[in-house]
Amino acid sequence: MPFSSSHVFPWPPSSSMAVFMDLNIRVDPDKSKLQRLIDTAAHLGFSTVALNYVFEPSTKKKQEIPVPTPISELIGELPVVQGRSRPIRVLNRLTVVTSDASHFRPNAAEYRRFDLLAVEPTTEKLFHAACMSYDVDIVCISVTEKLPFFFKRAPINGAVDRGVLFELSYAAAIRDSTRRRYTIANAVCLMETCKGKNVILSSAAEKALELRGPYDIINLGSLFGLSDENSKAAVSSSCRSVLLHAETRKTASGIISTSRTDQQEALQDQTDPGDEPSAKRPKHS
Amino acid sequence: MKHLDQEEESGVYQRAVLKNASPYHYMKVRLVLEDETSRLSAVELKQFILTGLKTLHGEVGAAINFDLLKYDEDTLTALLRVYSSGLVKLWSSLTLLGSYQNQDCAFRVHQVSPFLLALTGNSRDLQLD
Repeated sequence: MPFSSSHVFPWPPSSSMAVFMDLNIRVDPDKSKLQRLIDTAAHLGFSTVALNYVFEPSTKKKQEIPVPTPISELIGELPVVQGRSRPIRVLNRLTVVTSDASHFRPNAAEYRRFDLLAVEPTTEKLFHAACMSYDVDIVCISVTEKLPFFFKRAPINGAVDRGVLFELSYAAAIRDSTRRRYTIANAVCLMETCKGKNVILSSAAEKALELRGPYDIINLGSLFGLSDENSKAAVSSSCRSVLLHAETRKTASGIISTSRTDQQEALQDQTDPGDEPSAKRPKHS
Repeated sequence: MKHLDQEEESGVYQRAVLKNASPYHYMKVRLVLEDETSRLSAVELKQFILTGLKTLHGEVGAAINFDLLKYDEDTLTALLRVYSSGLVKLWSSLTLLGSYQNQDCAFRVHQVSPFLLALTGNSRDLQLD
């Protein structure tokens, strides 16, 4: 049978397929407030949002890494995304603010409870380490202060190669004009080095009125020095690659994954290996 | 820019061909305020948008010509017309406007189009059976 090229799906999938995501919504103990935030995000057209838990270790006293509350307990009914007739997807995310190398503990079991893992380095050394070696999905760029260091090409290229993305959040720019200056200055500084690739734009909103629609954010991207194309990718396809990168963190490079099976089922499999071909049986040697 | 089809004798339909990029863009925006009972007049709204333009883009931004074509005070929905060159600046200043008279606010941009006719309906609000 001749192979018809029209049936081949284009790869990578065209950008028009990508859905919009906001991977940073501040989690709030007030459930009605959080519900209103999620409702607004769904109404604006975001298909996926991530609830952000911020963990800021201090040197003086030992703090516990926050434990995510299950989504079903936080939000009653998931609202339907505008124009997609599908409920919104809500994820958990942890952001570790590091000012010292000991603050980020690789392989900590507490980190595995979260779907996404982000790190916000405050020194150049830690920024370099976060880009080159930390097993994280997102490196946050500070928008509340003047950047204490320059972005060098080596760590940025390293992060791009490893599939780690940089995050800029815009809620601080809405709140007051000083932070707006810092947001724009730091964003332009980042874009000079990374050329607009591997950047995501998210809200970091605490209130529903701090959220903006996806097309507003795409337009805002041009203010940060992003091209139209990269700007759209920053709220859609780049966010998708964050999620895929998070998957590979849990599995062995996305090739092998382990999951807990039912105890009973596992026992049965062990006692009755007779039907399996010998190649699949574990070797006892 | 405009080409009228003279062959149609009836004159009921006319065909407009836009050869250049259109000079204007039209935006349908709604102002959401924290206190939902407060109302603005059209003049106050335009002044508010102008302040936003000036804080973000300075005097150059404030020099952008835009018009408030239509405004519904009950729903706070407005129809703006702006030169296409000023669209990005106007839109970004609307995005970054966050407070009106010490209360939180947000501009929800519903539609943006180079054609005014496109704003008569919104395909996203259609109820499909």
